Amino acid sequence: MNRMLTLNIFRYNPLDPDSTPRMQTFTVQEYDSMTLFIALTQIRDEKDPTLKVDFCCRAGICGSCAMVINGRPGLACHTQTKDLPAEITLHPLPFFQLLGDLSVDTGSWFRKTGLQIEAWCHSDDKAFDPTAEEMRMDNDLANEIFELDRCIECGCCMAACGTARMRTDFLGAVSIMRVARFYLDPRDKRSEDDYYEVIGNDQGVFGCMGLLACEDVCPKGIPLQDQLGIMRRMMAMHSVKGVLPRPLIETIKKKGCCHAHAQS
Amino acid sequence: MNASTITLHVPQRSKIAGRMDFFQMASGVLLILFLWAHMLLVSSVILSPSLMNGIAWFFEATYMAQIGGPAIFVLMVVHFILAARKMPFKQDEWKTFRVHARMLQHKDTTMWLVQVISAILILVLGAVHMFVVLTDLPITAAKSAARIQSGWLYLYLVLLPMAELHVGVGFYRIGVKYGFVGRSKRKWFQKTENVMMIGFITIGLLTLVRFMLLNIQG
Repeated sequence: MNRMLTLNIFRYNPLDPDSTPRMQTFTVQEYDSMTLFIALTQIRDEKDPTLKVDFCCRAGICGSCAMVINGRPGLACHTQTKDLPAEITLHPLPFFQLLGDLSVDTGSWFRKTGLQIEAWCHSDDKAFDPTAEEMRMDNDLANEIFELDRCIECGCCMAACGTARMRTDFLGAVSIMRVARFYLDPRDKRSEDDYYEVIGNDQGVFGCMGLLACEDVCPKGIPLQDQLGIMRRMMAMHSVKGVLPRPLIETIKKKGCCHAHAQS
Repeated sequence: MNASTITLHVPQRSKIAGRMDFFQMASGVLLILFLWAHMLLVSSVILSPSLMNGIAWFFEATYMAQIGGPAIFVLMVVHFILAARKMPFKQDEWKTFRVHARMLQHKDTTMWLVQVISAILILVLGAVHMFVVLTDLPITAAKSAARIQSGWLYLYLVLLPMAELHVGVGFYRIGVKYGFVGRSKRKWFQKTENVMMIGFITIGLLTLVRFMLLNIQG
């Protein structure tokens, strides 16, 4: 039996001085395998074309339709209405700049942070030779790097992070995982000192309070907290070199979850 | 002279953030181990008051109580200062986190607030407890029982669950934050930690009951 869904949607246009934040209620007839994205499209098509919602791929790949669904950040296209109660409350993702209604600007933040953590391969500034053979890489290592490259930058982890909500300069799980991706990559020639300079501070790995919400809401199921843990351990152990005995540092580095194919 | 001592425009490579984080974790681990050992040793009164007296005598004869006690207090204060760097002392931080926790309804996020509140209570009540005990050496079962029976019970009824909760959640969080416990073992670890937490609170309550019932006249 399909239900009549009630959607309470946050409405506000920050660019319009006459606009005030409010909740607006819409009703939609549910049908089998309906996603939240379809319900929102139906509202835009049939009830209110001014409703601002970002979308692109409709398949959990582009990360545009991330929003807060009944208190939890998630992708509208990835969420089936049958998994939700008949009353659904939708808010835009917090942490990011609001563009209007359910639409936020995640791109600017990701670009700024990408530059901050220098999210590219640092290969000693050697000139790129397009005719040279591509560097070979062990298949298992490539798979491990690919696992971290699955991130679609939807921003759900940042919206769910209590630390980032309190301290907006926190780089968050997504950035640290991105650094971990380069840390694993043998083509990236950065030293531990270089990585420490990027994330070895309270805005980086040491700011994480282990709240785990980033991992619990990630629509792609990426092991964010494991990557945070590994990088935190590596950076902390790097900082106590010369303070603690070397064998102890090496033992702690290998305790718990590790990069299976780390080079060093 | 280093350029960064005269200008802040040159970033200085410093390892202090990592060291502070490591010592926050290490001091936490030491305090967890201390608290578990402390609980088990004090609970020896359940078996026999003279056993507890014997253990207390050993710790005083070897000066572990006289030196170790204040050292644990210092460690607790250092741990608090290091961990307090993350606490939401500013009103807007507190409000933001509260609103966030209410929105998310997420156990680990809410438990962090519990950890913040329990930390402050432990700092105050734990300091009182340490002062009272360490300024009235030697420790004996009769003196402890007299204290519990003369109204101090209420302090321990707050301190005991707060300390065990803080230690339990902190133990789990250290494992997670440092990646000692990976995704596959997280559920098991949390369950184990919950069982240990309930176990220690039960032992603590039984110890308090034993002190309440102990005859302090003879």
